[in-house]
Amino acid sequence: MRPTTLVRLAVAGSRTDRLRTVLTALSALLATVAMLCAATVLSITDYAERYTNPLLIEPGLRPGVAATLILVSLPVLALAGQCIRLGAPARDRRLAAIRLAGATPGESVLIATAETVVAGLLGSGTGLVAFLVARRLLDRPDLYGQRVLPTDVLPPVPVLVVLVLLVPVLAGVIGAVLMRQVIITPLGVVRRVRTRGPRPWPGLLIAAGIGLFAVPGQLGEQWNMSKNTVYAFLGSGAVLTMAGVVLGTAWISYAAGVLLRRYGRGPVTLLAGQRLITDPWNGSRTMAGLLTAVIAGAVALAYRELLATEFRYYDVYNAMMGWTDGGMGAPDEPEFYYGAVRLVMVAVALASVVAAAGVLVALAESIVARRRTYAALTATGVPRRTLSAAVLLQTLTPLIPALLLGLAAGDALVRLILSEKPVGNEFRECVAAGGGGCEAPLHPEMATVLHVPIPWGNLALLGGGALLAVLVAVGAGLLVLRASTDLEELRAS
Amino acid sequence: MSTAHVLLGLLAGGPRHGYDLKRAHDERLPRAKPLAFGQVYATLGRLERDGYVTESGQDRDGGPDRTSYELTEDGRQHLDTWLSAVEPPAPYVTSEIFSKVVVALLAADAERARDYLVAQRSAHMSRMRELTTAKSTPGASIGDVLAADYAIGHLEADLNWLQTTLTRVAAFSKEVTN
Amino acid sequence: MSALLSGTSIVRNYGATPALRGVDLTVDEGEIVAVTGPSGCGKSTLLHCLAGILRPDAGTVTYREQNIGLWSEAARSRLRRTEFGVLFQFGQLVPELTAVENVALPLLLAGSGRREARGVAAEWLDRLGVADLAEQRPGTMSGGQQQRCATARALVTQPRVLFADEPTGALDVLTGEQVLGEIVRVAREHGTAVVLVTHASSVAAYADREIVLRDGVLDPTGLGLGVAR
Repeated sequence: MRPTTLVRLAVAGSRTDRLRTVLTALSALLATVAMLCAATVLSITDYAERYTNPLLIEPGLRPGVAATLILVSLPVLALAGQCIRLGAPARDRRLAAIRLAGATPGESVLIATAETVVAGLLGSGTGLVAFLVARRLLDRPDLYGQRVLPTDVLPPVPVLVVLVLLVPVLAGVIGAVLMRQVIITPLGVVRRVRTRGPRPWPGLLIAAGIGLFAVPGQLGEQWNMSKNTVYAFLGSGAVLTMAGVVLGTAWISYAAGVLLRRYGRGPVTLLAGQRLITDPWNGSRTMAGLLTAVIAGAVALAYRELLATEFRYYDVYNAMMGWTDGGMGAPDEPEFYYGAVRLVMVAVALASVVAAAGVLVALAESIVARRRTYAALTATGVPRRTLSAAVLLQTLTPLIPALLLGLAAGDALVRLILSEKPVGNEFRECVAAGGGGCEAPLHPEMATVLHVPIPWGNLALLGGGALLAVLVAVGAGLLVLRASTDLEELRAS
Repeated sequence: MSTAHVLLGLLAGGPRHGYDLKRAHDERLPRAKPLAFGQVYATLGRLERDGYVTESGQDRDGGPDRTSYELTEDGRQHLDTWLSAVEPPAPYVTSEIFSKVVVALLAADAERARDYLVAQRSAHMSRMRELTTAKSTPGASIGDVLAADYAIGHLEADLNWLQTTLTRVAAFSKEVTN
Repeated sequence: MSALLSGTSIVRNYGATPALRGVDLTVDEGEIVAVTGPSGCGKSTLLHCLAGILRPDAGTVTYREQNIGLWSEAARSRLRRTEFGVLFQFGQLVPELTAVENVALPLLLAGSGRREARGVAAEWLDRLGVADLAEQRPGTMSGGQQQRCATARALVTQPRVLFADEPTGALDVLTGEQVLGEIVRVAREHGTAVVLVTHASSVAAYADREIVLRDGVLDPTGLGLGVAR
């Protein structure tokens, strides 16, 4: 097969295929731009007073900024992953027909993957151009030569090349991995079905993740860990927890489906429950980005609470010592730290929006893939309202427990670093010794233990926001359902 | 029966003489039994007697005298009546095959029935093959194709009936023995 | 002379359901063989096994003295785009490609250049009387036109064996007859052997000989008489 043939077959597509290509390219563009920004921030060296923003000036803060940008790009990548599945039925038919004409299994996977890679390359190339143009347009040094944005540094060329290639390659790999689950035979595409329902093992992942995360906080002082070791523990703990929550959603879906089937009355719970039992992994796939973002958000919110507690501790301590200006710690500008947390929250919000878009894409895909069933149900007299309710139920039933789990896990992670801060140890030890003669505390809170509160309100806001985003996505998805239950669809092959 | 009607139909297109009629008959209805000359003239005589056809002329190009005939107004009416009369849709099953298969299945011993049925099926199949070849041969006339279609359709119907009958009888005897 | 294609004791199950329970069959060079039998008798499965689309669970499929049942999926795919042609009831054309691209597909997959492949494809469309449809997509064609294009695609590589599974099953009698006539004519002209799966004896009558399957085994009587159940 010549490359020209490969390209021709890869771009041979209907409207849905073009939509997929555009969405894939778009998400590749966004992800590439975000990562280029991250790389630019990391390319700044030393204490850079030439910027107006302290986040860019301080070397210690820049990795955080970069990490935030990368955090944004992750759900965008997940969105690209969702897009790959879009329009699968038409593509499956096409690939089977090509196989029948004599394409080998390898060639058909190549054709399917080539399409994704081409789209990704298109997007990341455009992203690079957009980035280069933008940094030229936004390069506005003020009177003192200070800049708002680091438009005066550029990552080294090899890094640029790697970043532009990263998204298409990742998309290609994700595509190829997804294609591993399908066998393209000349007679059609067979999806490997997991016959056994999911088990609750991901719960162990969550436990292990939380355990790893706890290690530096609990044992760090005895073990005398290096900074990098601490980061490795915290990072891997967080990732394991996220993976556990995402994978655990499958079990939650399955269990919810079984419960719906057992206790549900009426067609809606029957349809939704059976759907959850039949494809429990659907929830994991569609909600992965959103759940990850929610966990990250919960971590950020919990961390904000932790910071607030530390600041209060400093306030109390300084008051106790009678220091009025500055004093211990760095609370001169708590707003600055809160600003950093807010930055993360903005990233989380952005990520949630992107993830919700991913949910919409995935939902639309799953509806379109089963449109004949839906159309047939409509034809036999099942009202659209019932179908809509079933779709809503099958989306929300696993989502709500998964969201709660994610919020709890995120908060739990941070609480492991610090959940309480005792003030006035000496006084309490003195009292405990019972010898008397202890000096009375100068500050009413001096002899108490400061507990890091759980940010109920903010967590609820975060969870509610995520839920709302999904509701909007489902609402849009139901429009697709409406179009798909047109009886015309029964005639479409 | 309808030899008379066929001749009337052939004359509807214009006067023809006896030899011409025979040729046209054999060509248009190639799978029917070929018409004998005697039969042509006898039929024409009867038709003339009944006033359906009339002599329209004599010509003699090189050969013997040939009388050509044409349709009368009565004849045209008679033909129209025949064409518009609905044939009773096969009121009686009179096929030899039908009787034989039924007897073989219900009365004869299993071995003999089996041999007969297999042979009959194979004969039907090879006849169908012949007819299919004949009609797909380049240059086959429309008459050939129509006749082959008719025959193939009936042979296929025979085979389908045969198969269904066997399955039905098998199911029936199973029911009885169980 | 040994047969061009032969199957020996072919067994194939779908899960616990047996589809073929040991079928023998030979196809000689240039011969047209009809495989008939009632629905669910395993005739399509037999065709898929012979064409290398499915791998038999037991038994051998021998093509030119090679046991293709042992070949890899990729090797059997390559066989399908060089030595074999496949024609189904419908759905074998790629809906997004034009007729000429569809017909050119096996050549393109085999590594031909675009122009050359399109040239050959156009010739074959002409041979099947649908040259004027070259730039149309399958969705805009009638069933008969689609089957003619599919026939052109199945024959474009000048295969030694054409596998046709109810090729006229979705067509009305006359259109089906025309398409079938074309398939047989072109196959005879090129000496292509044909395995023709059908449930209709009038279609089987186009073949040189016929084998009948019933419940996954050969039925020598053709009528299901004395077949072990």
